[in-house]
Amino acid sequence: MKNANLIGKLLFTMTLAATLTGCKHRPPMTTNIPESGTRPQAGSGGTTPDNGGVTSTTPASGTDIPLSNGNYTTLFNGGGVEDATKFAADTIYFDFDSSTIKASEESKLQELANYFKDNKKFEGLIIQGNCDARGTEKYNLSLGERRALAAREYLANLGVDPQRLKTMTFGASKPVDTGTDESAYKKNRRDDFVLVTPK
Amino acid sequence: MKIKYLLYFALVLIAALSIAAAPEDVIEIHKAATHLVPISITGFESDVESVLAFDLSVLGMEVTSPDKAEYQVGGSQNGRLEGNLKAAGTDHPLWARAYAGGAIRAQAHAFANDIVKEIRGTPPIFQTRIAFRRQEGSSTEIAASDFDGYSVTVLTHDGSLVDGPSWMPGGRGLFYTLWKNGGEEILEHNLSSGERRVFAGYPGANLSPEVSPDGKKVAMILSRSGSPNLWVGNIDGGGLLQLTHTRDEDSCPTWSPDSREICFVCRSGRAGLQKVSASGGATRPVPLTGVAGNNLTSPDWSPDGKWLAFTFGSGSFTICVAPAEGGEAQKLVAGEDPCWAPNSRTIVFCRRASNKRILCLLDVPTKRVKDVRQISGSCSEPAWAR
Repeated sequence: MKNANLIGKLLFTMTLAATLTGCKHRPPMTTNIPESGTRPQAGSGGTTPDNGGVTSTTPASGTDIPLSNGNYTTLFNGGGVEDATKFAADTIYFDFDSSTIKASEESKLQELANYFKDNKKFEGLIIQGNCDARGTEKYNLSLGERRALAAREYLANLGVDPQRLKTMTFGASKPVDTGTDESAYKKNRRDDFVLVTPK
Repeated sequence: MKIKYLLYFALVLIAALSIAAAPEDVIEIHKAATHLVPISITGFESDVESVLAFDLSVLGMEVTSPDKAEYQVGGSQNGRLEGNLKAAGTDHPLWARAYAGGAIRAQAHAFANDIVKEIRGTPPIFQTRIAFRRQEGSSTEIAASDFDGYSVTVLTHDGSLVDGPSWMPGGRGLFYTLWKNGGEEILEHNLSSGERRVFAGYPGANLSPEVSPDGKKVAMILSRSGSPNLWVGNIDGGGLLQLTHTRDEDSCPTWSPDSREICFVCRSGRAGLQKVSASGGATRPVPLTGVAGNNLTSPDWSPDGKWLAFTFGSGSFTICVAPAEGGEAQKLVAGEDPCWAPNSRTIVFCRRASNKRILCLLDVPTKRVKDVRQISGSCSEPAWAR
């Protein structure tokens, strides 16, 4: 009986196998390709920011300047006129892969601080951090923001109201020199300063 | 007893000889991952032939003549695609299938998926999409294409600056940073309706969103606390949690496939890889050997959880892969910003050519590289839908 079972199983397997491999006599298994579905839609508009609820924050260590949006929102969100030329000569430069304010750049920041300390028009300053192309893109975005924040902290320590100082980063997306040597790179590792005057 | 076994043996022998290769009866032995498989393609022309040749070479196979091939791809394309796969030295194909409907390129990709499943045993990737950042002139936009660079769709038209995208699971939508109206915001872009909503528009930087594989959370870099730190929020925008509190710049988050951990870049001297639980707690460096002396950035966690791909260097870049828990890193090829395909074997990355960036595909075990089809503009920061 055992033998009969065994032979039966083997015969069945052989028949099954022959059926499965008999491509010549049967139409092959067909895979249906779906027609390309709904095409992805390009973006439209945008809605009001949903700032969400902050459930947990721990203050950062060190001498952090709070980045509250407080009373500068109207000035920086469409309430001001931007002037990128006023402080063009005050652009500060950084060492490679560094966000430390160099001694050579301190006098420019002092000039900016003096302007804002005596400023009665409630003007603001956008600090734009930039990088050379020797980093990956997302890394450069964070490094550019850190460079902008370094200048913001420096100015706040000189007495400028941090509510007037907004930071931005462009990473390596806005080089002033697209060359690929150090003479180009050093011009791109910078903070630009844009004056914002109330409308 | 002996006779029984002899009979059994004889029958098995006959069965084995007569069935050649019925899939159900053969223990599948997939070719060693690092073995470059010689394969021949006959019976097809134009698009079908080029799709098959491209796809198979992306998975570490080398197209050759039938007499030198370990596998032979055959078939015909009269109205619909019929294809079969044969192991060299056998009389019968392993299988034969027909592919109907859709475009002829899609049929060819489906056939290539079946071939790869047979030979490599890896999940199909030839009908998946990638999204990336494309620069033309001074503006950058988000675009998506098939994994091979065909069927490009430009998804944004803001004429501004965007950062590289992150897919929602299943390719439903994208998250990315858009610079507009004097600041930058993280947007959620629904790809079926085209609708966009602002996910994060906090004071300071709103950068590098990465949607968790379970689709419930988004990791991102915010500087609202005074430094560019790692934060996580619920997909609806609420439940914001700050995960790092460093003074230096944190960047480049990527999720573990179980959505519990985040690997990111943090400076301690050089930029290096760290991990933190998505629910908070201590950060831990990923212990790596073989990549000392330069920045490690842009990590991407493989969907099978085993590997981290990342970029080594500054100025000139190398794609590296290391075990996700740490260990010896392998330097693979020149390039940056790696992103794993759903098969945890293929990587899309970007390389720099003269004033332009080009997307490339890397077969990790064989280190073979192929550029995707030429796309106009400079393309970078690829993200593979998975």
